[in-house]
Amino acid sequence: MKRLAAVVALLGLATTTAACSGGSTNTPGSGGGGGGGGGGLFTTIDVTRPGLEATAPANPYNPKGNSFVGYNAMRIAWVKNHLTDPNQATPGIAASWEIAPDNSSITLKLQPNAKWSDGQPVTADDVRMSIGIAYTQGSTAFSITPGAAGAAADVEVVDPQTLKITQDMANPSPKFARGVLDTTVLPAHVWSSVLPTDFWDKLKSARGEGGDAEKAREEVTALGEKVIAFAPPKDVSAGPFVLERVNPSEALLVKNKNFFNAANVAPAQVKFLNYTGNEQIWNYLTQGKLDQAGFTATPSDVMKRIEAASGNEVIRGYSPVAVGMAFNQSKKPYDNVHVRRGLAYLIDREQVTKVASPEGGTAAATTSGIHQKAAQAWIPETVPQLEPYKPDVAKAEEEFKKAGLAKKDGKWTLADGSAWKVSMHAPSGFSDWLAAQENIKSQLVTAGVDAEVVTTADYPLYLQELAAGKYDVGFWLMALGPAPYDIFQRLYGASNGWTNVGNKVSHSAAGKNGNWMGGSEEIEVGGEKVNPGELTGKLNSVGAEEAKPIMAQLALAANQDLPVIQLWDYVNTQFVNNNRFTGWPHDDELLRGGGNVLMSGVWIQQGLIKAKQ
Amino acid sequence: MTLITRRLAGHLARGLVMILVVATITFFIVNNIPGDPMAARYEKLIEGGMSPEAAKQAVKVLYGFQPDGSMWQQYTDYLSGLFRLDLGVSVTRPGTPVLEVLGEAAKWTVLPVLAGTLLSFLVGIILGVFAAIKRTGKLGDALAISGSLLHGIPQYVLAMLLVVIFATLIPILPADGSVDILFEPGFNAGYLGSLAEHAVLPVLTYALSAYGGWILAMKSSVVTVLGDDFILAAELRGVKRSIVFRYIARNAILPLFTLLALSLGLLLGGAVFIEKIFNYPGLGWLLIGSVQDRDYALMSGAFLLITAATIVANIVADLFYTVIDPRVRGGEGAS
Repeated sequence: MKRLAAVVALLGLATTTAACSGGSTNTPGSGGGGGGGGGGLFTTIDVTRPGLEATAPANPYNPKGNSFVGYNAMRIAWVKNHLTDPNQATPGIAASWEIAPDNSSITLKLQPNAKWSDGQPVTADDVRMSIGIAYTQGSTAFSITPGAAGAAADVEVVDPQTLKITQDMANPSPKFARGVLDTTVLPAHVWSSVLPTDFWDKLKSARGEGGDAEKAREEVTALGEKVIAFAPPKDVSAGPFVLERVNPSEALLVKNKNFFNAANVAPAQVKFLNYTGNEQIWNYLTQGKLDQAGFTATPSDVMKRIEAASGNEVIRGYSPVAVGMAFNQSKKPYDNVHVRRGLAYLIDREQVTKVASPEGGTAAATTSGIHQKAAQAWIPETVPQLEPYKPDVAKAEEEFKKAGLAKKDGKWTLADGSAWKVSMHAPSGFSDWLAAQENIKSQLVTAGVDAEVVTTADYPLYLQELAAGKYDVGFWLMALGPAPYDIFQRLYGASNGWTNVGNKVSHSAAGKNGNWMGGSEEIEVGGEKVNPGELTGKLNSVGAEEAKPIMAQLALAANQDLPVIQLWDYVNTQFVNNNRFTGWPHDDELLRGGGNVLMSGVWIQQGLIKAKQ
Repeated sequence: MTLITRRLAGHLARGLVMILVVATITFFIVNNIPGDPMAARYEKLIEGGMSPEAAKQAVKVLYGFQPDGSMWQQYTDYLSGLFRLDLGVSVTRPGTPVLEVLGEAAKWTVLPVLAGTLLSFLVGIILGVFAAIKRTGKLGDALAISGSLLHGIPQYVLAMLLVVIFATLIPILPADGSVDILFEPGFNAGYLGSLAEHAVLPVLTYALSAYGGWILAMKSSVVTVLGDDFILAAELRGVKRSIVFRYIARNAILPLFTLLALSLGLLLGGAVFIEKIFNYPGLGWLLIGSVQDRDYALMSGAFLLITAATIVANIVADLFYTVIDPRVRGGEGAS
C-alpha cells in the first residue's frame, strides 16, 4: 500500500506539472493574476466559431486561429448588412474611402494614427500585403479564378496613407467595394515572409490566360495553405485588443494601448469563453456571465430564464437570412407545383415560428426568396402582388385536387392511390428546425397529410445526403443578403442546377453537379417563360436600378413556383448584460454587421460601450 | 530468459500486432464516415455573410490539407507515418501535428480521470472491506446499497445532477472549463487553486460513478477470502485481529489491482459525456469536435491513442499480476 501511495503521489504531481506547463501561448508579460482592473473585464463568446484551441496561432485565416475579428483582428472597414447597398461600411483601419461613380475603383485613406500593438505604424504597404494574402485565400474582390466577377485588377500604393484598388471592368460586380473593405489587415513586418518576393509578378501571370497562368494560379493557391498554417511568434494587432494567452477553456485579450481610438475603449481585458454547443451558451447567459453574445437559437423556456437573469437584455435587429422548407422536385409528388402550393396553404407559419424561433425569427409574410424587410426596400411595388399563402384548408384541397391527389378515409393519397407521407429531414442539434418540423408535422397530420420528421446525425451528413437527393423535404437557409445575387442564388444557384462561372450560367440536370432541388430550367411567371438561374446570374453584374426589375421577376417566380416554402425570416438577436457595461446600440443600423465579424468588438472600438460607473 | 521477460516479449509482440490491426480498422472506418465537411464549412461561411464565390475558394484552400490519392495510397502513407510517430496534420488546425493536439488534450483527460479513479479505488476498497465484514449488519447493507445505486446511475446523469446542485442551486463550484485564464499559468496559488476548483466536479463525477464498482468488487472478493481455510486457521491460532484483517485485505485486493490497471488504461478514453457536460477540454471533448468537423487525421489519432492505451494497460496488468502474485510468479498460473 505504501508503494501504491507513492505511485499515486508521483502521478498526481506529474499531471499537475503537465497542466501547469501548458495552456499558455503568447505571454507578453502583462495581465493575469486575477481580476479585471482598469476599465474592467469584458466577457463574451465567439459565436461564429465553437471550440477554442490553445495550440492555434493568432492567425485570422486559420479556422481555429485565436484571432477575434473586431477585437485583435482588424479589417479595412466593417461592412454592414444594409438592406439595399452592400457597399456600406463603418470605418476600420480605413478612416474613409471613395468609390468611383462607375464602381471601377475604390480609394482608401487609412486612419492617420493607426499603429500596431508593437508600436509600428499601420501603412498602405501593410494593407497591400494583406491584399496579397487575401488573394491566396480567394475572396470576392481578390480572386484569381478566371472571369470572376468583381475581381480587382490593380492595387496601387498612392502614399503611405492611401491606396487605390481598381476593379477589372471586363466583369464588374456591384459589390466590388464591399469585397475590398471586408479584407483583414495584417502587419507586413510579421507576415511578409509568407509571400515570396516575386508574389506580385506571379499574381499578374495568374490573372492571364494559358498554361503559364494556370501554373501561376496553382502556385498562388498553394500559398494559401502556407498562409493558413502560419504561426506568428506573437500576436501583433491593429485592433483595440491583443491576445495575451489562451487555454482550452478561455482566451484572454488585453487592451492595445497603441490602438488609434484606445482612449475610448472601455474594457481593459476581454475574456472569450469556450463552448461546443448551444447548451453551454445558454448556461453562460442564464448565469449572467456574458456581457455580450451573438445570436444563438434558443427555445422559449430557456429564453425566459436568460431574460430573467440580472442585467440581461435582448436587443434585436435585421439579419439577412431566412429559412425555408425546400422540396426535392425530382421526387413525386413534389414535382407538381400544386402539391407545393397546397402544402403552403396548410402550414401556419405564424404558429411554426412561435414554436420554433419565437425570439430569433419573424414569420415569413410569404415566399419571395428574399427577407421581408429587404423585399420592402428593393421591390415595394411587387410585394402586394405576391400570393401570401395564408392558412386556408379549402385552397389547399383545391390545389391537391389539381395535382390529382385524392382523399381516402380522411387521408390524402397520391394520384395512383398509394400512400403519401411528407418526410422532413433536419440535422440533430438544430433545435429550432426540429421544433418547426414537429409543428409542421402536427399541422399536416391534422389536415389529413401523413408526415414524419427524420433527424440526421449531424450537419455535414445532412448536407451530403441533401445534395445526393436522398431527402424529399429539407430545411434550407435562403435570402442571404444584402447583395441581390447572393440572395437569389440560394434558390436559383447550384442547389437547383445553375452554375455561374465568370458570369456564364449553365444548367445541370436534376441529380447532377449538386442539383438536388431539381426544379425546371424554365418556369412560367405571369404567362411568361423565364429562366430564373440566368436572371440570378445577371444580378451578379448589374447595378441597383437594373437589379430591381430582375429581383421583382425572381420574387414572383419564387412565389408562384415555390421551390421552397419560406417559413421565417431570422432576426439579429443579441444578448447583452447591463451590470458591468452599458451603451449597447439599439439602432438597427449599428447591429447590422456582416462578414463573420464580432460586432461587440466593433462597438467597443468605436467607443460606444462604456464601463458602468 | 526469465518468465517475466518471456511474458513481456510475448505481450509486446501481440500488442504491436493488435495496434496495427486497430490502426487499420480505425483508418478505414474513419475515412468512410459519411458527411460533407466542406459543404458544412461553406454553409457556415455564407451564413456569416461571405459571398458564395469567396466561401467556395476559402473552403477549397482549407481542405487542400486533406490527404488525397487513392484510399490504399492514403493508408500506406498513414502506416508509414505511424512508424515515425507521425499521425498527420489536423485539417481544422492546419499546420498543427495531430500528436501535438492529442498531447494537449490528453493531459486534461488524465488529470481528472486519474484523480477520480484513484480516489474511488481507495475509498471503494476500504469501504468494500467493511461492507464484507459487516455484511449482516445495517452498515454493510447501507454500503452495498450505496455501491449498487451509484454503479447504476449513468455518468452523464450523475454529472448533470452535480451541475444542478453545485453550480445552479448552490453555486459554489464552476461547472465549465478547466482553469480561469486570468491566472498566469505556473506554480502559483491562484492558478493551481483555479485548476483544482474547476476539476472538482469532473473528478467527483468520475469518483462517484466508479466507486460503486470498486466497493462491490472488493466486498465480493473479501467475502470469498473470508471463507478460505487460512483465515479460519489464523483465527483459531489466535492471531491478532489487525493481522487477520491484513491477510484478508492483501489477498482480496489482488484481482482489484488488475482491474485498476485496466481502468488506468481506459483513462485516455476518458468520458465523452463528462467532458462534454463540464466543457472540459480532454480527449473525449476533442473526439466529439473532430467527428463534427470530420477531421479524419485527428479522429484516427484519437481512436488509436485510446486503443493503444488500453492494450498497453492490459499488458501492464498482466505483468503486474505476475509480479504481485507469487503463484503466477512461480509458474502455477502461467499460460
